[in-house]
Amino acid sequence: MSTMRDGIRQSMREIRASEELKQNTLRYLQEQREKQDRKQKLFPGNRHAGFRYVLAVFCLFFLMGTGGFFVYNRPVSYISIDVNPSIELGINCFGRVVSAQGYNADGRDIVQHVRLKNISYIQAIDRLLGDAHYSRFLEGNAKPVFTVISGDPDTMMEAINADNSFQAYGGVVYSSDMTCMKEAHQHEMSFGKYRACLELLQYDESITVESCHAMTMGEIQSRIETCREHNGNGEGSGGGNHGGGSGHGHHGGMH
Amino acid sequence: MEDYADMVRRICLVHLKNRHDTEDVFQNVYMKYLLYEGSFESREHEKAWFARVTINACTDWLRSLSRRKWVPLSVLNEESRSLDEESAEILESVLKLPEKYRNVIYLHYFEGYSAVEIAGILGRKENTIYTWLSRAKEMLRKRLGGEQA
Repeated sequence: MSTMRDGIRQSMREIRASEELKQNTLRYLQEQREKQDRKQKLFPGNRHAGFRYVLAVFCLFFLMGTGGFFVYNRPVSYISIDVNPSIELGINCFGRVVSAQGYNADGRDIVQHVRLKNISYIQAIDRLLGDAHYSRFLEGNAKPVFTVISGDPDTMMEAINADNSFQAYGGVVYSSDMTCMKEAHQHEMSFGKYRACLELLQYDESITVESCHAMTMGEIQSRIETCREHNGNGEGSGGGNHGGGSGHGHHGGMH
Repeated sequence: MEDYADMVRRICLVHLKNRHDTEDVFQNVYMKYLLYEGSFESREHEKAWFARVTINACTDWLRSLSRRKWVPLSVLNEESRSLDEESAEILESVLKLPEKYRNVIYLHYFEGYSAVEIAGILGRKENTIYTWLSRAKEMLRKRLGGEQA
């Protein structure tokens, strides 16, 4: 086998890196080093600084993107709109609707067919009240009842009160709170309807939340009006104050 | 560069098709050396590093160009002027071997590495290198007609 070894060695020995190859390589390395030096001047520190800079910018944009997405989609206020359809809108810090949920069959049907998300809540109210299918529920004496949960409910209630569609249908607006909303959702009701139920319970002890569940908002409102008149004329307690007496002490009315 | 340039050139010859490919891989290898941040324990360690990096660079080069299956005989035309007839025949036989056999034959017969050292350079098991060496020798013996054995 030594002959094979010698033969291979002999054949390979003549293969050498030419001067031209070495010089070209040295020139190439020099060029690369100059490029590296220019990068170092741009991103002083070490040779990974440029990459780190790009990575940091990418991370910043990523965090801004995901953070912005999170902030945009996080509701900070809620509006419950109840006629017979019960709908809850989630409003983000920019005043735009980011969630819309129906709390009965009519509400779910409306939410499916009327695009309410990613527009301002006033636009959403206009669109809802202007929808042909929805306006069928507002025929007769039915009035839309708006209930607001917000860190600044007065501003939101004033904005809703000033809305032309709201005024045209003679709507009423109340405020509520998150505790009421949690209880309402436990009973699978919108917090607007639940607030009205609690108010009715104040006047009529024979009423239960379960029985309210089967009533339309119009029926609940009508009974409340009757009780108020009765109490105002008779016992004189708790009357005339829309939204009062829900048990949470935050449901001051306004319309 | 003088120390390992010839070895890098020879490994390129064993793998690559022409002088342009060789020049590119040659430059890549020295660029990697320039950027290498580790330290070498000895000259032998440094030499083995060059061998491993050059083989890997050649393999990557062929893989990226989908030229893995070719046999690098055309380089013989470029080199034949410096070789006598017998050396050219032996070199041709070596270059006709499958790629993995070319590596072990070069590292073993020319650079004088043992199977254990070749296993370290190529990142293979020692037994694999023994098998490759044995098969490569057998193939060369057949190709060279037995006169070299």
